[in-house]
Formats: sequence, C-alpha cells, structure tokens
Amino acid sequence: MKRFDYAAPASLREAIDTLRQRADGVRLLAGGTDLLPQIKEGGLWPSHVVSLRRVPELRGISFDPSTGLRVGAAELLSDVAAHEVVSRHYQALAEGAGIVGSVQTRNMGTIGGNVCNAAPSADTAPPLLVFDAAVVIASRDGERQLPLSEFFLGPGRTALAPGEIAVALELPPPAERSGSVYQRHTPRKIMDIAVVGVACRLVLAPDESMAEARIALGAVAPTSIRCPDAEALLQGRAPSVALFEQAADAAREASSPITDVRGSAEFRRELVRVMTARCLAIAAERARLLSERTCR
Amino acid sequence: MTTTAEPTRTEHAVVGQRIPRIEGRKKVTGQSVYAADVSLPGMLYAKLLHAPHAHARIKGIDTSRARMLEGVESVVTASDLPQFEARRRSNRAYVLLASDEVVFAGQPVAAVVATSSAIADEALDLIAVEYEELPVVLDPVAAMDPGAPLARQPIEEIDRSEARGHATVDVREEEGAGKPTNVASQVRFTRGDVAQGFAEADAVVEDTWRTPFMHQGYIEPHATVAGFDPVSGELTLYTGTQGQFFVRDQISNMLRIPETKLRVVGMELGGGFGGKVFLTQALASVLSFIAKRPVKLVYTRTEEMTSATPSGGCVAEVKLGMKRDGTITALDARLIYDTGAFPGASAVVGAILLGGYYRFPNLDIRSYEVLTNKVSVGAIRAPAAHNATFAIESALDEACRRLGLDPVETRLKNAVAEGDEMPTQQKYPRIGLVETLQAARESAAWREREAWKTAAPPGTKRGVGLAIGGWLGGLQPASAVVELNGDGTINVVVGANDITGTNTAFAQIAAEELAVDVSEVSVVTGDTRTAPFAGMSAGSKTLFTVGRAVKEAAEDARRQIIAVARERLGATEEDELELSGGEVRIKGQPDKALSYRRLGGITTGFGAAYAPIIGRGSITARRQAPGFAAHVAAVEIDDATGEVTLRRWTTAQDVGFAVNPLNVEGQLQGGSAQGIGSGLWEEMVFDVQGHLRNPSLLDYRMPTAADLPDIETILVETPSEDGPYGARGVGEPSIVPGAAAVANAVRDALGVRVNDAPITPERVLRALGRI
Amino acid sequence: MKRPITLKINGQRHDVLVEPSATLLEAVRDQAGLMGAKEGCGTGDCGACSMIVDGRLVTSCLMLAVEAEGSDITTIEGLARDGQLHPLQQAFIDLGAVQCGYCIPGMILAGKALLDANPNPAPDEIRRAIAGNLCRCTGYTKIVEAIAAAATQLQGATP
Repeated sequence: MKRFDYAAPASLREAIDTLRQRADGVRLLAGGTDLLPQIKEGGLWPSHVVSLRRVPELRGISFDPSTGLRVGAAELLSDVAAHEVVSRHYQALAEGAGIVGSVQTRNMGTIGGNVCNAAPSADTAPPLLVFDAAVVIASRDGERQLPLSEFFLGPGRTALAPGEIAVALELPPPAERSGSVYQRHTPRKIMDIAVVGVACRLVLAPDESMAEARIALGAVAPTSIRCPDAEALLQGRAPSVALFEQAADAAREASSPITDVRGSAEFRRELVRVMTARCLAIAAERARLLSERTCR
Repeated sequence: MTTTAEPTRTEHAVVGQRIPRIEGRKKVTGQSVYAADVSLPGMLYAKLLHAPHAHARIKGIDTSRARMLEGVESVVTASDLPQFEARRRSNRAYVLLASDEVVFAGQPVAAVVATSSAIADEALDLIAVEYEELPVVLDPVAAMDPGAPLARQPIEEIDRSEARGHATVDVREEEGAGKPTNVASQVRFTRGDVAQGFAEADAVVEDTWRTPFMHQGYIEPHATVAGFDPVSGELTLYTGTQGQFFVRDQISNMLRIPETKLRVVGMELGGGFGGKVFLTQALASVLSFIAKRPVKLVYTRTEEMTSATPSGGCVAEVKLGMKRDGTITALDARLIYDTGAFPGASAVVGAILLGGYYRFPNLDIRSYEVLTNKVSVGAIRAPAAHNATFAIESALDEACRRLGLDPVETRLKNAVAEGDEMPTQQKYPRIGLVETLQAARESAAWREREAWKTAAPPGTKRGVGLAIGGWLGGLQPASAVVELNGDGTINVVVGANDITGTNTAFAQIAAEELAVDVSEVSVVTGDTRTAPFAGMSAGSKTLFTVGRAVKEAAEDARRQIIAVARERLGATEEDELELSGGEVRIKGQPDKALSYRRLGGITTGFGAAYAPIIGRGSITARRQAPGFAAHVAAVEIDDATGEVTLRRWTTAQDVGFAVNPLNVEGQLQGGSAQGIGSGLWEEMVFDVQGHLRNPSLLDYRMPTAADLPDIETILVETPSEDGPYGARGVGEPSIVPGAAAVANAVRDALGVRVNDAPITPERVLRALGRI
Repeated sequence: MKRPITLKINGQRHDVLVEPSATLLEAVRDQAGLMGAKEGCGTGDCGACSMIVDGRLVTSCLMLAVEAEGSDITTIEGLARDGQLHPLQQAFIDLGAVQCGYCIPGMILAGKALLDANPNPAPDEIRRAIAGNLCRCTGYTKIVEAIAAAATQLQGATP
C-alpha cells in the first residue's frame, strides 16, 4: 500500500481540529474495511489518514425508552448486531448490521463507516431509514442533526461538509406493536454485497390497522431510498397479502436500479417487488408476535 | 509389459490407509514456507504497471519521474529485456512486458524495483505511458469471421510447451495456415455418417451452451523471489509452482543459463489448479539480473484476476440425436474456445471429451481456439473439460427428458468402456465409467430423489440432476530415490511439488514396500539441483507417475536390503527372506533377523562392509489412466427470486485404487466445490472495452462454506493398468461434471433449462419468463 | 516517516518500526517475523490473514499496525502450547482438513474465534462463521468436520 501519514486524535475536538488543519487529501479512518481497499485497489491516495478509533465521543450504545436509541458512529457492526436492545426493538437494524461482509468485516467495520461510505448497497442504511434515524454531526461550530433521508446525496456522497464528522445515529423510541425486518438478495449466502436490500417496519394500531408503515430499499437507486407511495398505500389499512403486493408494486416503481456486474435493472426491480411483499408480511407477523408477547 | 489387476486393499498394510498429511503439523502451525514468506539479504521489491486498454499500441513510455523517487532502484520496460525467438511471441510466459502492442487490459508494461513494495507502488503512478487505442475483439464467435479485425498481430507458430503437461494427447492442432485470422488453431474429428445418424434419431436436441472465463482461484497469489548472484553467475528462484523442473527448463532456455547454474526451489504451494506453473519467474529473474540483488515479485489479487492465466470461456453448439430406446445416434458439434490474447485453450481436449464419454456411432466435432483481447488463458483443473461437459451432459439429459428415459440407464447404455474409441480413434484402456455410474445410481441422493423432491418447502421447487465427466490425464517421466538412513529409517527424495498430499502417498508406498510404519519414512521434495526429475504436478499424474517411480525405487531398495541381509545372515540360496516390522529375516527362522537400524549401521558406518542402500526408480509413462466421475446434485430453488440453494451433493469417482482415501476424498470434495462454483457463481465478467468488471474475491464469487452442503464421496476402484496398486489420477475428473449436474438439477426442478453458466438467480428468472 | 510501535503478539512484546500505512499483517510478517498469517487478497475478502485482536477475529490486511498497538494479538503461531497442538490444529490434521494449507492459519483462527464464543456450534453455524475464510482446495466438508470434532474435544476437556 502507498504511504500516508496518520493521526489518532484522542477526543472529538482534537479530531475536528486535525481534520481542519489537513483539509486536503485527508481521509477519516473508522474500521478500515472500506477505506483500505480503496487505497490499495481503488486509486485513492490520501496524504493523511485520521483515525477515529480513540475518540470516546463516537463510542457507546445507549437506550432510553423516552428518547430512543443512540449508537456511536464508531460502534462495531458486530456489537450493534448483538446488542440486546437493538435485537429486540430495532430488529431490522440488528439484521442489517449482522449481515455486512464476514465475521471479520463486522468486527472491524463500524456503523458510522457503513453509513458515511454511502454505498447504495450499505446494509445498515435501509434499516436506519425505516427507523427514521438521524445523523448527529459535529464540527468546529458545534453539533447538528440531519435526518438520514437527507444525508445521502449519491453513491459515495453525503451531506457531510468539509471538517464535519458523523458522531452518532439516533433512532426514535420503538412503538408498541411494531415489527421490522431487513432482507437482502446476494448471489452467495453471505460474504457478499446486496444486489437488493429491503427493510420494512410496521406499527399496528389497536384495531389491527397499520398506524405506521416504512419501506426502504438498498442498491436500487443512487442512494438507499424510502418508498413514500408504497408506505401511503399501507397507512391506516389492515395488513393483507393483496395490500402488501400492491405496496410491493409501488416499491418497485420507486426503485431506479442500474445494470451492473451484480445484477441487471430488470432483475433488481423484480426482486424489489418479491422481497418487499415478503418483508411486509414478516414485519406484520413480528408486530403481532411482539404484541402477543407483551400481552402475556 | 503385461500387468494383471493389482491385489485388493486387504492385501496391503499401509497403502489404502487413511494417513493424515505427513507435513500437516507444519501447515496447521503456520510453519510451512511459501514463496512469499522468503526473504533474502538485500532483497528488493518489484511491482508491475498494467495496461489500462485491451488493445493498444504503445507510443512511448516515460519512466524518468518514477526513477527519481527515493528508494526506486530501477524501472524496467520491454526495451531492457532480452529478446526471444519470434515464435515465443505466442507464449504469454515469454512476453514479460508488452513491447509495442498491448493485447489485453492488465498486460504488464513496466516494472519497478524498489526498496519497499510501498515505494514501488508509488512509483507506478509516476510512469507515463502513451497509448494509441486499437479495435478491441471480444466475442470469440464474431472474431472467427474472416473479415473480423485481428485481436493481435499475426502469430506464425505456436509454442505449446506448457499445455502438454496437463493433458497428453497425440493430436496436433492445425495452426495459422493462409491469411491471418483470430483462429489460433482448429481440430476436427469425424466418425460415421452424421446425417444418417440424425435420420435414425427419434429425438434431436440442438442448442448452444456457454461457459464464461473462470479463475482457478488458488488463495496464494503468484510469488517468486529471484536471487541472482553476480559473482558466481548463479540464479536461485524460490517460487510457487506446480512444476519446478519446467520452470528450470524454461528459464534456462530463455535466459541462456546452464541448468548447473540455475536452482529452482519449488516452495510449499498455496494451490495451483493448473494456473500456477510458469508465469512471473522469468521477469523476476531479469529484474534480479538488472538490480544485481534478490528481487521479490508477488502478485496482488487484482493482478491475479486481470493478469494471470485463468480458464477461457467456451461457446458450445451441440446437436445430439437419440433413439426411443436411448441409443445415441449422432453428435454434431462446434466448440469455440475463447483463448484470450494468447493461445493456450485446450480446444483439442475439449473436443475429445465432448465425443469421448459415449459410443457415438456418428460424430462430427469441430473445435476452435480463438484469440480475443482478454487476459491470456491457461490450464485449470481439467482444462476445457468442464465447458464441453456442461454442453454434452446437458444435451444428453435433455434428450432423455424428451424421450422419457431414465438418465442413468441411458448413460449406462451408451457409456464407453475398455476398448471403445475416443474421437481420436485411440482406444480406451481399462476405465470405470460404467462402475462409477452404477455407484451414483445406488447413492442415497439419487435413490431418495422422488421423496426428497416431494418434500419441497412452500415457495420452493426441488430438483435432482446427474452428470458425468472425465479426464484423460497427462503423461511425463518421473524418478525417485529411496534410501536407508544410518538409523534404519527411510528417506524418500522426489522432485514433484506436493499440493494435494502426494508426498504422504509416497511415504505410504515406501512404507508398504519396505514393510515399515509410515512414521519411519520421510519424504522431501528437493529442488532442481538436488532432486531426481519429476514432471509437473498437473494433469492428475503426480501419483500416477512419480508414485510409480517411488514404488520402483522402494522395490530397488528392498532388493538391496535382501542382498545385504542374505550375505550377513548367511542365508542359503533356498532360504526365502522377508521384510516385516522394520527388519529383514529368513522365513521360518525368527532368530535369523537383521533390523533396519543394524542394516543402516553396516551400510553407512566407518569401515562398513556394505554399500549404502539407495533405491532408484526411473519410469516413463506411455498409457493414460482416464478417470471418470458422476455427480448427483440436489437443488432447492426459491420460486420467486430464482435463488438456487444446493442441498445435497454426491460424487462418485473411479480412483483406480485410493492409496490414501482421506486425501482422495478431499480431492473429490475440492474438485466438486469448484465445479459447483462454475455452475452457480463463478464468472469473469468483461465489459465492452474488455475490462474485467469483477477483479476481486468479493465480486468473483467462489463458494464459501455457507454456500455448500457436505459433499458426499463414493470411491469407485477400477484398477488402472499402470498406476501404483492400480491408482489413477484423481485431481481433475472431480471438477468436470459439476456445472452440468447443477444445470440438470435446475432443469428437473423448474422444467426449463438454463444454458448459460453460471446459473444465477437472474438467469433462472429469465428462463422462467419472469423478467 | 516510520514509527516505533510495540505489538503484543501471542503474549510477547515485539518492538517494531513501521510506516503508519503498514498493515498489521505486514508488521507481523515483515517486522515481527511471524509468517503464519498469509495474504490472499489484501482487501478482506479471503480471510487468509485472519488474526484474533482483543478477542475478535479480524482481517489483518485491513488493519493498520499502528492501530493494533496496545492490543492482544493472537496469530496461528500462538495456538500450540509447549509443542502440544491446539485441538483445532490436531483435528484439522487428523480429519484431512488441510490441503495446500494457505488458508489454514486464518481458517483455524476463525474456528477458534467461533468456539471461544460458541463452544457447541451446529454445522450450519460453523459454516456461517467461516464464510469469510475462503478455501479453494477442500470444499469445506472436512474443515467443518474438524471444527465440530475440536468443539467436542474441547467440551470434553472442560466439563
């Protein structure tokens, strides 16, 4: 690998200062599972790499029933996936974080890295979108929050301005009687990149209608996307196979995939339809199961 | 020499046993030394610059900036290299760096030698090459058109020195007559009257099957450390190769170094599968000459994908006729092998196998090797075989379906046996295709198929498919030395590079012949200046040829042991001597015994009365021992996504005699996994400019553990005439039927056939008309 | 500019001098001289370079050496104790799970990381746990058998 200089600031403030002083050719390093391959094989050659490994403000997973979940950007994907609260209340996120790459990838890669790398196929992005996650962003001027839906600008591009660092992801508290799921299609069972990723979250009202519905797609548009039209079809109505299929058709229309080495546009659109219908059914089932468990 | 059937397993003490790898301890502790693990004093590091275009003329190369980078020792282009004879331009291994014409994207055009690999890497960015792009030829079928642009400047004569090591056939290709075209070679086999044959058929299947470029996928990248000593003029190469003597011969010839001053040390090899014989060794040597210091050249994975020698693709047009009773009446076929930018595809072998599994009364097979602007190809496990087999075994399966015939019985009805002719008119020696098919028929996976299919989970469809495949095997002389040490233990010295456990098998053979425990035997692979000659570890012939040499050497040692013992023990001419438990004794006289330890002493000590015991084995092999495999695939397909999940896989293979069943099973399982890979995932994808789109192990998808079921093995033992104890080559047949078995299982599940491998979910959905 | 760092590998301190851009794999091989870990791809896709760092299985080709300072690093060389092979190592030999051997150091460490967390894995769990470690020789059947056998043995040893 080509040589570069390296700094490992010990605080967020120091990290921001380091970033500012070396504005040109600087790259942030979190887990390294995306950055290092880009340097080795992708033609990227930063002069400086600033490691976020020792920044305490980027660590920690905390949950408060009234404010929700906060996941530090430098938390490892394996820790997010295995976290008890995440697996219980944010199941789609646990599934997304738990299927990135290999065991090794998840032991190195971070949730912040997965999000900030802004790959359209990022496995944590659709789950975070269905949970209405926000990105906490720090700079010399302080902190700001941005809904994740506004964070992705294109493949590899985010709303982070020069000098800004993503600090954490915040997810609102889980609704009662809700269920979520993330599934992806890959040629290999694991150790692969999503050809299509689908996350769904449904909240059931006491009358069994869907009080809230969220559908997000990965790898079928320049960024991970929500599907507002499909969601609107579900809102306030009772779950049914026919309705889910309608929503799946709408999700398919919302996608704008490209043809690349991982799959053609037609194939991806078809998978969006199939997988969205499946994921909605699973999310509804999980919402029901959760309410049963709560009743008992 | 006439040979009768060898004794069966029960008559042997050591061969036939499941002996763990003798070097296993080193491998599991990380102590085995591979080429990239070697460091020499003063060693420098080389990196290569690769062409970004698939076809271009090099107008100029400016290396001046790269040379100025601190730590750079030299920057080398084609003009700094020795010149070879014109015919060598057809051999990728001799075109060390592109000189004027770039013929594939990824072809090396310059090399940097520096004090660290990072510096060498940085210097590559500082080399400026001016290219003039030329028309790119990618589609091998279109490239055959007489009016098609040429993929490269015409080749006068083709150098096939390496390909012969993998498969030894008597047929020579027709090459380069008349006007230059992209067809590097062609061959045609005919028999009987094809038109008449089709007229007699009740069903005719006619279709086109495609298989893509596939990578051997060894996990260890190519690595060589070349150490040229300017004082002595000696060159030592530490390299990962399947054939150290082949490397020696080539380098000696290329660089005019006598083989007395050239030492090739074949290191522990991290997988080869045909793709790791001779590629970067000459360049590393030249760089070491220029630098006058040792140079290490290790490929990156991207280089492995874009700039090594994977297996080429193939378009197979096959027309097959069959009678209602299952008799095959005719085969008419055209095989178009895409050989990339250099000749190397084994189009002849593909044609022989296509027409070689069954008794085709009438056949007409044309096979072509076509140049395109893709990476040069080389051998893979059974080169060209899986492509042809995918086509013929799919076509035959389809014919059975159309006529409502049982796929196993139909195959049995037509299968070749001893005495039947290959398309070359060469007669098969003793083979076990029929026995192998019978074993597959008796396997649980095949017998239970109907019940298993009925139990498909909701939303899925299940299918079970079967296919056969074979490999003729390579032939090359081999030799070995077996000696008795001073302490009575045994040393075996060979020159073959062990990849698959052959040294363990050699230890078993020596132990068997000398009646000792295998722990009393060591086997060492010497280098090209210390070891007796052996051919390449390729062509499924290492045990078949070197194993014979070891057996002969052990028998020679046994004779010497008996001669010494006879004198020492005062045996009469009528006395019979026997070897047992590490001693030699007179039969029926238990007290008249001489231990090997004692024997070692009296043949090596000061003033010893007897000469050292050194057995010599030196053989050549003239008759192949073709091996056949039958695979049973059981797949479960997601009806909506097209995802194919392999639930069960059984492979039956005629191994002749399993000297070490543990390692033989491993060969069958590994080959199956590669065949499955070619059936379901593996494909090198080139874009319209000829750039490889998936040059990583993430996007070139070899199966992971999570993608495969347990692979069940059935060892069929139809002894070969010439192999040790009847053994035949086992490495290659195991990959051959894989893709076809998958395809036939998918056809069984879905009722539609996918003719393009790999059978991806997308291709499944297309075949079903969903997209 | 090279920097001096201290790596703790298999319980031993190694003072090494590395470029900040050097990977842990490079430092362990080229500086500390432990050659068991292999490079197969350099991009985290094959697992041949796997090491256990602070109890977690990582691909050392994607970790900077400077980032591993202060961590406990286990390589294949750290598994055998006093010449006694780890049960995983022994099972790999005995059950024929080793062919060319290039993936094996990483594969055994993947097995160890699994068994440390899940002493009694089902075959399917084994297959998923080693999916980041490619083997081209074996088809995995015997590797899965070896890990399962080692698990049984380890459980017997510590009831």
